[in-house]
Amino acid sequence: MSTGRLHPMSAAIREIAGMFAGMGFGIAYGPELEDEWYNFDALNVPADHPARDMQDTFWTKEEKRRVPRTQTSSVQIRFMEEMQKENILPPYRIIVPGKVFRNEATDATHEAQFYQCEGLAIGEGISLAHLKGTLESFFKEYLSADAKVRFRPSFFPFTEPSVEVDVWYEVAGKEGRWLEVMGAGMVHQTVLKNVGIDPEKYQGFAFGVGIERLIMIKHGVPDVRLFHSGDIRFNHGFDVTRVEDNLKDMAS
Amino acid sequence: MKVSRAWLQKYFEEPLPEVEEIADALTFHSSEVEEIKGEMMDVKILPDRAGYALSHRGVALETGASLSLSLKSDPLRESLPEFLTTDQLTVEVDDSYVLRHLGAIVRGVKVGPSPVWLKEALESVGQRSINNIVDATNYVMLNIGQPMHAFDLAKVSRGVNGETRIIIRRAAAGETVTVLTGETYTLATDMFVIADATSGAALDIAGLKGGMASGITETTTDLLVSVGTYNGTTIRKMSQALKLWTDASLRYQNKISPELGAYGMRDILKLITDIAGGEVVGVIDVYPNPAAALPHVPATLERLNAILGTSFSVEDVTTALDRIALPHQVEGEMFTVMPTFERTDIATVQDVAEEVGRVLGYDRVLPEQLPAMQTAPDQRKFLGLERLKDVLTEHGFTEISTQSFAIEGEIVLENPLQSDRPALRTTLVENMKDAITRAEFVAPLVLGTEPTLKQFELGSVFKKDREHFALTLGYKQLSGKQSASVLPEAVQALVDAFPASGLTVPATINPAICELSLENVNLEAVGEGYDPIKSTLSEYKQFSIYPFALRDVAVWTLSGTEESEVALTIAGAAGDLLARMDLFDRFEKTDATTGASRISYAFRMVFQSDSRTLADTDIDPAMTAITEALNAKDGWEVR
Repeated sequence: MSTGRLHPMSAAIREIAGMFAGMGFGIAYGPELEDEWYNFDALNVPADHPARDMQDTFWTKEEKRRVPRTQTSSVQIRFMEEMQKENILPPYRIIVPGKVFRNEATDATHEAQFYQCEGLAIGEGISLAHLKGTLESFFKEYLSADAKVRFRPSFFPFTEPSVEVDVWYEVAGKEGRWLEVMGAGMVHQTVLKNVGIDPEKYQGFAFGVGIERLIMIKHGVPDVRLFHSGDIRFNHGFDVTRVEDNLKDMAS
Repeated sequence: MKVSRAWLQKYFEEPLPEVEEIADALTFHSSEVEEIKGEMMDVKILPDRAGYALSHRGVALETGASLSLSLKSDPLRESLPEFLTTDQLTVEVDDSYVLRHLGAIVRGVKVGPSPVWLKEALESVGQRSINNIVDATNYVMLNIGQPMHAFDLAKVSRGVNGETRIIIRRAAAGETVTVLTGETYTLATDMFVIADATSGAALDIAGLKGGMASGITETTTDLLVSVGTYNGTTIRKMSQALKLWTDASLRYQNKISPELGAYGMRDILKLITDIAGGEVVGVIDVYPNPAAALPHVPATLERLNAILGTSFSVEDVTTALDRIALPHQVEGEMFTVMPTFERTDIATVQDVAEEVGRVLGYDRVLPEQLPAMQTAPDQRKFLGLERLKDVLTEHGFTEISTQSFAIEGEIVLENPLQSDRPALRTTLVENMKDAITRAEFVAPLVLGTEPTLKQFELGSVFKKDREHFALTLGYKQLSGKQSASVLPEAVQALVDAFPASGLTVPATINPAICELSLENVNLEAVGEGYDPIKSTLSEYKQFSIYPFALRDVAVWTLSGTEESEVALTIAGAAGDLLARMDLFDRFEKTDATTGASRISYAFRMVFQSDSRTLADTDIDPAMTAITEALNAKDGWEVR
């Protein structure tokens, strides 16, 4: 009997999870169908704020409408709330790989459903420089040893300062280039206050990266719509090499 | 926001660099320049800066900060005149909507074409020149960010004493306004109009767009100039409801300061009298609750550096604040920033840190590693999910991923993207059925002669009151007989692998498709200590979207012939339409009379093109070539 194949998304998330585990990041989960509070208000996006127009949102037809989450950032809130409830003080470090939804026309680079990996690090003295260091380490490991990270000013309601993150990507035989890969920043003090964390004592960074986009860059996938098409020809478009044989562990 | 280099240049003594260099500086220090067209840049002003930067003045300030150039003058730092009042105008406002309104009467203007400089300025940012009055209001808005409107005073009724009476009020239900561009909008009671208080007629949609009936024409001589500041949230709702977004509504919804109104009135009155003549009769300023000065923001050097992870000095921070024109005091290492009225975005030490970081440049933030954590990271739930997947791939199942939107479900969307998939899925079964059908169709291409098709998906399903992970297995026998035991055995293997996890075998298992709920499964326990199988993926090779065709070939070879020799011979002769081939039969036979032994190899070949659907006329020559190549081998014979 031949071995089945993991979806490339699973393979990539395993790689990413392993790299962040090395930097002390756990993994957290939250619902894909969110309350407005977790998806917007708690993240410092009040009702009728123009920032709500920044993302095209699906809404449910329910008495109290809910939202298929537009970002995995909602899990930041749930995670930090949970920690407060259990009286566990920072430092916190998590990543949140998961599906998010945007109500926008689809094309080769846009999908209404995609995976995002949120990152959150909260502690005493966690700075924008740590964000840069963390992302640079990640990209050096995930993309290429020559990877470098640069920041540009940006705006997100849930971070201040906010930055766009570009990564320098160089592969043999191709000219190196800067790629726009994610948004990030220092967690907004209102977000920390919303979950009961003292922003005078603790601070930290958050980032959110589209996983399909990373895979597309790294492996040359031409169209984001292939990922969740349920088409096994996509799985078989990659040659898979197992890094190490872990069958022994599985049998135990 | 479209800005032109020539317009920005008005703010600087020194010549500005080329537009590409300005764009680069803005992108790395302020807001991204999305497009450059000649001398025009489209700057994507970030929402938090929109209160001051949706203007050439604002972008000039940002340009100066980014390039270390000082503005030669700043219209918002120049003093305001004392406006003369007048009894020829009264303005009544609903202060739930109107934060401030300045109205002015100007008599004796001459409407005509704009002077060349004004036409050029507007055209440099892609706007059309209309007449000197309308152009003037547009110019001032694009220059300092304050929207405004000029009415033809003659088209507004007079009161008993000859005065003009204006009211800014809620629209009546169903009240209509025909705007300057000709469209008629029907308003609701949560919308507001500027109305003629004498006649009661609505003149325009307040804050959104001027009305046609009171518009400026060639014969206009007297003006009512209206410079308002309106509730940004209400404006946003009005724009959304009417699907009417204007340069004015964009600025209002970003909550420009009502203080700006007076600067707008100062500039528009000067510009109109300069280019169209006339005389300002007076100004009525209705400002129910004047905005208080913005609070001072304390920021220690230590805190700024702690946020950014930098080691900036007092001088560095001072330089940055000076470059972005934020007034401040410094005592030792303690800064107090005193934001000017338009800088509503500066309220916290984090805001100040952003200004310092971006003005000095984020390239000065050097990468730093996080300190080590005292506790090991908790990835157990994730590892639990991955462990289930590993068991299934080891049992030959391939993972798929499908869409969460479904034809039917317990929760439907208000605004689905596809009207035929309005619901959130309650099960992965439907998508699995569809995926199996499609996989069966492409199986020869991706699975070759593999007799079974086995797939799984792990994903969220949505019930009215809860959401949980489900794991769905699909199976189809491609050649031979469909087995009733493949899925039950796989499920049993999963359950057996994790006995105390809460994973259970369903009461009945459909032999072709089976869904397990992971709702009550202790995934943390499953994942505890697990090290998932890791693999690396190659560069992706896109499959062809064109149909493929199958052909078989069987050949007798001499005893001792290896499979690879046959395969190489076929591959060498087939040409580039051969997508894959698989051996599906091999047997050896000894001739009873001669005693000679021969081996038969049978291959299935898949032909496919990346650019078209293949016809027999494409494949036949390849088959002929393969047959000839095989027959040419000594002792080989195609059967």
